[in-house]
Amino acid sequence: MRAAEDVVDSTQTGRRELVLAVRELGKYFPIREGALQKIAGHIKAVDGVSFDIAPGQTLGLVGESGCGKTTLGRCVAGLTDPTAGGVYFGLDSAARDRLDSLLAVTAPTAEQQSELEDLTDRHRVDRMKGDSYRRYRRNCQVVFQESFASLNPRQLVKDIVGRPLRVHREASGQQLTARVVELLDQVGLGRQHLYRYPHQFSGGQRQRISIARALALDPELVILDEPTSALDVSVQAQILNLLHDLQRERQLAYLFITHDLSVVRHMADRIVVMYVGQVAEAGPTEALFERPEHPYTQALLASSPDVDEETLNLQPLEGAIPDPARPPQGCRFHTRCPVATPACGWEVDDVVRWLEDVEGTFDTLRGVTRRSAFDAALTFADADSAQGLAAALRSGAIPGSMQTALEELKVDGNDVQIRFTEVDEVQLTTRGPDHVAACLLDGGVARPG
Amino acid sequence: MTMLGDNPAATPKLAPAPVASVIDLQVHFRSKAGVVHAVDGVSFDIADGETLGLVGETGCGKSVTARSFLRLVPMPPGIQAGGSILFRPHRGCEACFGNGCDVCHQSGRAPDVCGDCAGSGCDACAGTGHLTVDLLEVAEQDLRNIRGNRIAMIFQDPGKALNPAMSIRDQLAEVFYAHRSAELLAAAGLDGGGDGPVGTLMRRKAGLRSSRLEDVLLTLPSLRARRNRLRVAADNRIAEALAETQIPNPRKVMDRYPHELSGGMRQRVMIAQALACDPDLLIADEPTTALDVTVQARILELIRELQQRHRTSVLYISHDLSLVRRVCDRVAVMYAGRIVEVAPAAEIFNEPSHPYTRGLLAAIPAASHERGRLVAIAGTVPELIDPPPACRFAGRCPFEAEACQLHDPDPEAIGVGHEVACFIHHPPPDSTAARPSFDRQVR
Repeated sequence: MRAAEDVVDSTQTGRRELVLAVRELGKYFPIREGALQKIAGHIKAVDGVSFDIAPGQTLGLVGESGCGKTTLGRCVAGLTDPTAGGVYFGLDSAARDRLDSLLAVTAPTAEQQSELEDLTDRHRVDRMKGDSYRRYRRNCQVVFQESFASLNPRQLVKDIVGRPLRVHREASGQQLTARVVELLDQVGLGRQHLYRYPHQFSGGQRQRISIARALALDPELVILDEPTSALDVSVQAQILNLLHDLQRERQLAYLFITHDLSVVRHMADRIVVMYVGQVAEAGPTEALFERPEHPYTQALLASSPDVDEETLNLQPLEGAIPDPARPPQGCRFHTRCPVATPACGWEVDDVVRWLEDVEGTFDTLRGVTRRSAFDAALTFADADSAQGLAAALRSGAIPGSMQTALEELKVDGNDVQIRFTEVDEVQLTTRGPDHVAACLLDGGVARPG
Repeated sequence: MTMLGDNPAATPKLAPAPVASVIDLQVHFRSKAGVVHAVDGVSFDIADGETLGLVGETGCGKSVTARSFLRLVPMPPGIQAGGSILFRPHRGCEACFGNGCDVCHQSGRAPDVCGDCAGSGCDACAGTGHLTVDLLEVAEQDLRNIRGNRIAMIFQDPGKALNPAMSIRDQLAEVFYAHRSAELLAAAGLDGGGDGPVGTLMRRKAGLRSSRLEDVLLTLPSLRARRNRLRVAADNRIAEALAETQIPNPRKVMDRYPHELSGGMRQRVMIAQALACDPDLLIADEPTTALDVTVQARILELIRELQQRHRTSVLYISHDLSLVRRVCDRVAVMYAGRIVEVAPAAEIFNEPSHPYTRGLLAAIPAASHERGRLVAIAGTVPELIDPPPACRFAGRCPFEAEACQLHDPDPEAIGVGHEVACFIHHPPPDSTAARPSFDRQVR
């Protein structure tokens, strides 16, 4: 352990004021189709996410399944390379500010370009080489959700926990055993557990072994990917207490990925709420729970049960998470938002999605000719269906704001021409100290001006 | 249907009785290390129209208890070591045709009458006058008539519980063919299936008993029309069942396969399947654990609404106390194969009386907790191999005393409908040993 600290200290920066900076991170997975496996599109699992983590800080990352939080965690851990943007490690705050100003320049001079290249080479995780990459590797560790799947069933605890020490040539022989015992001791296990296999432990104990392994090299950042979701509440309480004590002792920074709001409220200093690959809202834990600004955050809070509350007062969200291969225009949440406005990005896909849930009509839809996401012609098998759709869109069958956003609606034989108001993607705006949200509204009500 | 629904229409007015009573249930498993006492002396009642929550940690025996209702525990390695599960089936009330009247206590459903005593009360029905079936003793054929018909189950992971190779239509059709074939034949205008070989053929088809050859026969032009009418009748029932769980466009969803649906939709299909035959008892085994919070909220809302509309009794199994508080009327807390506390839902949260219940509630992170100061229960769940006659919670209990090591406490009443198995509240049989107390903390 001590040796590990020496290495970090020798890099003149010591414990830095900033552990990690994520800038405009994107991870796109190609969708391949046909015999030639041509790329037909991309699933944008993570799309333009930025945040910082400071030492001793816990950043909570919450969202529904499929919102890209685990993919983001894997990018930060260097387990997959991002498609766009980057994860910067080992910057101090001056370098971070310099990087931000360089990234903001649209037409950089040759000098700025080379400075940016230099910063990128030294600090961006997917471009690092040699010593700086090794330093990143040892300082960024992961605890996975499934302790069963992430511990090698054929290795002894001593080998599992001692593996990072061996790989980084930290210790061997007697010394290694002593270090492993010390680590096990810190997570509440003991010498008697050294020569056992993972299957001989309970779920909570296995998660402790995972934590011991992650701590072996005294990292600065630990990525916790749903560390307690497979555990019972009483064991979860033990693990959460342990994680907190370790953080205080060692000034660890945590990226805490979870879907459990009560856990994240308990653990995190800052919270990032993700929805379909993007940040919906980010802010200090208290502010986010007291004054959620984004309707999605409000809905998440409303639908999570709290043991202190007696009455059942759930406000369930309508609809399903949209397909990340075709993310909604404008605000990505507008398809399910209870307070959506006409400017929130209503588009042709919303009509198609709506048709799918209406009995009969969708069966006669033959094709959609898109001129843009907002402008298209829907072709039906017969003129009656086309007329029927137009009538439905003019009536109160669709949300009022969607109707207002509908600029043009024309029936042309079997075709229905539809055009919505074009809108840009909703940007994150400041709502309070360190608190941002991507919503056109102000705390769920129309913003003045 | 030999045991159910054979009674004449004259329904005597019976006093309400629990729809199911579990009496001293013991389910053990044989393992290399010894006999595991997974469920060891569990007793509780489920009243008609009530939602009972069964809460506990992994491995406490709650799922085994639930599966015992339908004899779904594999034997061997399971051993039915003792006890019984009494089930009192109901049917539509004949006095009001299901609209609710005095005879059926406004439930629209009347209990079946005991065949031995015609409602006057005898040993077979434990004096209730209701037809009483011991689910652990009943013949396999009769049990098949109860499964999915009078007692239905929603499983934890809809992705695993639905057959991936069958369309939603085929999976739901099975329920109707198995339990409602006569109604389907009537709806298809084939009342009773008619006489002669064609009638037999149709009855076999509607009862899922047709062979491959008979299926081929049914494609003959002269028979095809009848088969199609039967299919349409089944489709109507399926669409109805799906629509009830608020699935949009059910006729479209029917043709889909489970992998094409989202987790929430799959759970809706499971619920539709479970409620298809309007069961008396619905067993929900962690129905929302595999779902997101936003979806979970909608599924809970749906189960609650359907339960109120059908007046079905529900056994709701969960490890999440905050959920149970919102869904259940009464809650039973299980620990290591025993029930440690039973109480009305509000009471268990306001006045938890067993040290384990207190520990469980304190371990849930709440806004008021300081970080790092969650009250965890020390230690781990004990091995259930040949347990000694001591309180199962001894060793982890902060209030433990001498008596806890010598005797295993049984649940005893400490208030109206509130039972606790702990010597803090009632004296041990051997009164010389020191009793535990909430005032004196060991650790």
